[in-house]
Amino acid sequence: MDVTTDAKGGFDLSRLVEFGKSIYSLVIVLVLWELVGQFELIHYYFLPPLSDIIIRFVELTLSGDMLYNAYLTLYRALVGLAIASVLGVIVGVLSARNDLVDWFFDPIIKIGYPVPIISLIPVFMLWFGIGDLSKIIMVAVGTFWPVAVNARDSTQQVQQNLVWAAQMMGTSDRRLLRRVVLPAALPGIITGFQIAMPLSLIITFVFEMVAGGGGLGALEIQGVRSFQSAQVYAAIIAVMFIGIGLDRGLRLIRSRLLHWT
Amino acid sequence: MRHATSQRIETLPAPVQGVARTIFDWIPLGILVVLWELASGAVVAESILPPPTTVSSRIVELLVTGEVFSHLFISLFRIAVGLGLSIFIGVLLGIGMARSKPVENFFDIFLSMTYPIPKTALVPLAILWLGVGTETAILIVFLACLLPVVLNAYNAANDVDQNLVWAAQMMGTDGREMLYKVVFPATIPEIMTGIRQAVPIAFVALVSAELIASNQGIGYLILTSGQIGNYPRMFANIVIISAVAFVAVRGFEEARNRVLVWT
Repeated sequence: MDVTTDAKGGFDLSRLVEFGKSIYSLVIVLVLWELVGQFELIHYYFLPPLSDIIIRFVELTLSGDMLYNAYLTLYRALVGLAIASVLGVIVGVLSARNDLVDWFFDPIIKIGYPVPIISLIPVFMLWFGIGDLSKIIMVAVGTFWPVAVNARDSTQQVQQNLVWAAQMMGTSDRRLLRRVVLPAALPGIITGFQIAMPLSLIITFVFEMVAGGGGLGALEIQGVRSFQSAQVYAAIIAVMFIGIGLDRGLRLIRSRLLHWT
Repeated sequence: MRHATSQRIETLPAPVQGVARTIFDWIPLGILVVLWELASGAVVAESILPPPTTVSSRIVELLVTGEVFSHLFISLFRIAVGLGLSIFIGVLLGIGMARSKPVENFFDIFLSMTYPIPKTALVPLAILWLGVGTETAILIVFLACLLPVVLNAYNAANDVDQNLVWAAQMMGTDGREMLYKVVFPATIPEIMTGIRQAVPIAFVALVSAELIASNQGIGYLILTSGQIGNYPRMFANIVIISAVAFVAVRGFEEARNRVLVWT
């Protein structure tokens, strides 16, 4: 406590202390990791020292392997997610606005949503092979459900007063959808994207691990098979960066698009 | 159309109404199944898309011969242990972090660093440590389910009605007793929500681990059926695991409503 009062004049020491408190455990674990690895207290294969992993990460990045595989993974995940987003929003909004569409899709969504979509990977390998196309379609099918369900539910919950008010002022049906319903449902729709995004990565990784064809998942599994554990850890570090990056990116888009909320 | 039909249904005698509505609601799925049956063999080769009749007879066969049960039990065992561990540790961690600043300072950084990692990306790491088999699957299910439980328990324990705490303090409750007589019961609904989110995740994690690193379990059965070209069996197993996942989610929701009678 007295530290904070001392530091009134200069930079804010109390914040630094808070920051230190929030990361000290990570520092301890990382240092322990390095020491355990250096003294081989745990076999190298299970836990290589942190420095080796970082060196391997830099090597893979410089040789372009990491970037290329990360690109493959991101390409598959994001193209699939984009397709699912377009279709999911269309089906979701139409379901909420149209009885016939709702009647048709409601039982399909009820049955389709709980299917552990990962279990269909062997089916997609059979139907579309093991290339990019197969992975992209798989991601699109898997991420369609959360997008559609969130779009439907949030459109249904749009306040009827808003719709009535706009109609009273003579807004046409198409304008009503674009200017009133969609903006009001947007927060829920974006929540759907936020649920679907990690799912797209999950599907891509597992597909790459099962079927190969490059990508970070394949890089990891290849590391396991060739007993290069540092490569596995390095790939997981890349996965972590991608996960954090996409998560932040979506949050940023959300706050940009929803600045009025 | 839906509106018009539901009005017509309302004119039916009461006992028939429910049945009529259910049938009407599920017609679209029936249409899809019929299309599937017709397409198989005509539009797409039967080997690539076995008709529903073949798949369902294969499901019956798998169930009657009991071939599927040994794998199904192993899969369910992995889910039960993984999910059980994640609930136990997740609740402890969530409440601990909410009620104690040092605990929060220690664990928060790890949770926020692992939060954006899709847990299935850790399957190779689990293989590295535990080899191919049950332990790997349990670890992945555990890791995948941990965060939803922790987050919900944490938020709930942070938001415990302060009046409850004061009232209990006034009557002389403190320390540990406060934790398990006031805080924990108050967080149960949220913990249930966390588990509800975790159940479908558990199935995705399980099947992922079994596809990549297992020689038993439903996921393994699906993969090998596909590899040897026994596609009806592959589809049959997919239907079985989907049905189990569906029943698990519904069953849990039912159980939660029974348990949470006071909310």
